[in-house]
Amino acid sequence: MRILVCFKAAPDVEMLIDEDWAVDKKLKIDTSFVKNTLNTYDESALEIALNLRDASEALGTNVELSTLTVDGGGATAILKTLYALRFTKAVRIEPQEDLRFRPAATAAIICQYVLHHSPQDAVLLGRQSDIGENAKTSLLVAEMLGWPCISQATHIELADENHLMVTHQVDDGHIRQRIRTPCVFSVGDAPCTSLRVPTLRDRMQYGKKAVDVLSVEDFQLPVETETLTGLEILRHARAGVIIEGKNPAEKARVLYEEHLKPMLSQK
Amino acid sequence: MKFKCIINGCLSHTRAQAEELNGFISRFLDPEASDGTTIIFYSQKDERKALPGLVPTQRAELVRIDRYHPESILDALARIEYSDDADLYLFPSGFAGSEIAVRWAFRQKGSSLVQVKHIDCTRDRVIAKKTAYVDHVLATFRLDRRPFCLSPARGCVDRLPIRARDNLVVTEHDFTGLNKGIRAHDFHWIPVEHAKHFENPRFLIVGGRGLQNKENVQFLKNMADAVGAEFGISRAVALNAWGPMHRLIGVSGTIAKPEICIAAGVSGAAAFYAGIEKSKFIIAINTDPLARIIKSSDVVVIDDYKTVMAELLKFFTFDGANEA
Ligand SMILES: Cc1cc2nc3c(=O)[nH]c(=O)nc-3n(C[C@H](O)[C@H](O)[C@H](O)COP(=O)(O)OP(=O)(O)OC[C@H]3O[C@@H](n4cnc5c(N)ncnc54)[C@H](O)[C@@H]3O)c2cc1C
Ligand SMILES: Nc1ncnc2c1ncn2[C@@H]1O[C@H](COP(=O)(O)O)[C@@H](O)[C@H]1O
Repeated sequence: MRILVCFKAAPDVEMLIDEDWAVDKKLKIDTSFVKNTLNTYDESALEIALNLRDASEALGTNVELSTLTVDGGGATAILKTLYALRFTKAVRIEPQEDLRFRPAATAAIICQYVLHHSPQDAVLLGRQSDIGENAKTSLLVAEMLGWPCISQATHIELADENHLMVTHQVDDGHIRQRIRTPCVFSVGDAPCTSLRVPTLRDRMQYGKKAVDVLSVEDFQLPVETETLTGLEILRHARAGVIIEGKNPAEKARVLYEEHLKPMLSQK
Repeated sequence: MKFKCIINGCLSHTRAQAEELNGFISRFLDPEASDGTTIIFYSQKDERKALPGLVPTQRAELVRIDRYHPESILDALARIEYSDDADLYLFPSGFAGSEIAVRWAFRQKGSSLVQVKHIDCTRDRVIAKKTAYVDHVLATFRLDRRPFCLSPARGCVDRLPIRARDNLVVTEHDFTGLNKGIRAHDFHWIPVEHAKHFENPRFLIVGGRGLQNKENVQFLKNMADAVGAEFGISRAVALNAWGPMHRLIGVSGTIAKPEICIAAGVSGAAAFYAGIEKSKFIIAINTDPLARIIKSSDVVVIDDYKTVMAELLKFFTFDGANEA
């Protein structure tokens, strides 16, 4: 079974302090000094794929993992880590435009990669990215490929050569079902799926392979139907009054007597 | 403008979806200039009777399908919506709503936006706002292509009860058996436990990664039970499986509106904070004086949450015993 995991590396915006948040004329926010990380959905998708490969070894089926990102170069360290984790192929497609808020363009590139460059049985993506927060790319990949789509996937197991057993979240519960490939999975809040760390030996042995870089010129981008026209920083300041006290017991007493008790006794 | 509300009545929360869309319509659409129809999908025959009471518009189409499956809803919609005359489709904020909004827009060659907080619309274009940069930024988009398919952000409008209509026009469709081709087998439904007053509790206690393990999460949950508070968790706690996902507070979970909220051991990431922002009063307990939550709380205790909470519980217990 050939499985492609798509991910997007993005600066960890929780590292920015209030003063860093400023929008320039091109509707960009300077985050160049912050380290790029994986968003948790993509991290889960990658770990789920690795678990599928682990399980395939026990079942005697063959699972081949590749990974793809449309990225200007900020994801290189992550791609190397994925090689060290024994992904067979790591591909970076170099964009020429700002794709933060262009999920249809990103989805079109991923779809054409699967159709014209590297056929797949399953494509895993995250539910939502950190910067664009579009929550659309994975659904559009499924629509463009014309494949079934399982959204909010939280657990995927190998059933046989061409079926996967998937658990996914819906509005008031979970559904567990067996799905025939090909299929697109949009990974949601999946517990216990932090990405494993490669051993130093695997880093030395496998992590140095060159990443395949493709030019976006080989792909056709659709006209976007939604255009970003403004960005405005949200601030959430409150009083932040610090409760003083010489020990936790005294702080708890002040908190209870001056705040909690009066508020809770109001009818 | 012609608009359609799409409601998924195959799962529970049908009323919540209808009241949310009713709130959205009354806030953002001009009643003089809009003409609305509600399409409700349902699967159980005995649910049919209650559906006319869940219609926020003048007309309703009630569509029976086998069971909730995005594909079944999309295919049935394609059969009903052949005339191509709708300008705007509104979907609820849940998982189903935001998924179908995007996929339906693609199939209709329209435009879509999910987790929308504000719209301003005419027949030819919609200006809509939603968050970006993990809830740190409000982004404005112009949507150019009809039909516009939108799903609101959780909690962005208050629910508005549906008023009964005597002259509701109802059309019925039966699309059971339509999606035999869906490649799913061994289907199991796993329901979740529902906390009843989770969105509007008087008093909410939320625990974050600072709780460090499952036992401590249970300790805080027990304390919440003892003092009559609801208990929620951050995503870090849910992803570590220290607590159940349905207790998640934040953009991906519940947007709570308590009077008092205690956030213990949470850093206050914007995606989490959106879930407690509507609290009247926020108390943070954190060992780190530089944590983001500090500046966005009303009062703060800089200390170990466990010691502070254990001390706090003594006061509740003492007062409780005296009252009794
Ligand atoms: C698209 C998207 C959606 C998201 N949706 C959500 C969501 O709905 N809900 C959500 O919660 N998150 C959400 N997140 C994740 C969010 O960005 C944060 O990663 C998450 O909220 C962090 O959880 P935390 O505060 O518990 O953990 P951390 O950020 O690790 O914070 C732990 C805090 O505990 C404090 N601490 C440690 N020990 C103690 C102690 N003994 N006593 C007191 N304090 C202590 C530390 O100082 C620290 O401030 C989302 C992210 C994305 C990208
Ligand atoms: N530039 C990209 N390259 C590869 N995958 C992407 C890219 N952008 C988004 N994705 C995938 O699509 C998911 C949803 O992104 P979005 O629709 O932007 O919220 C992400 O979690 C990734 O898995």
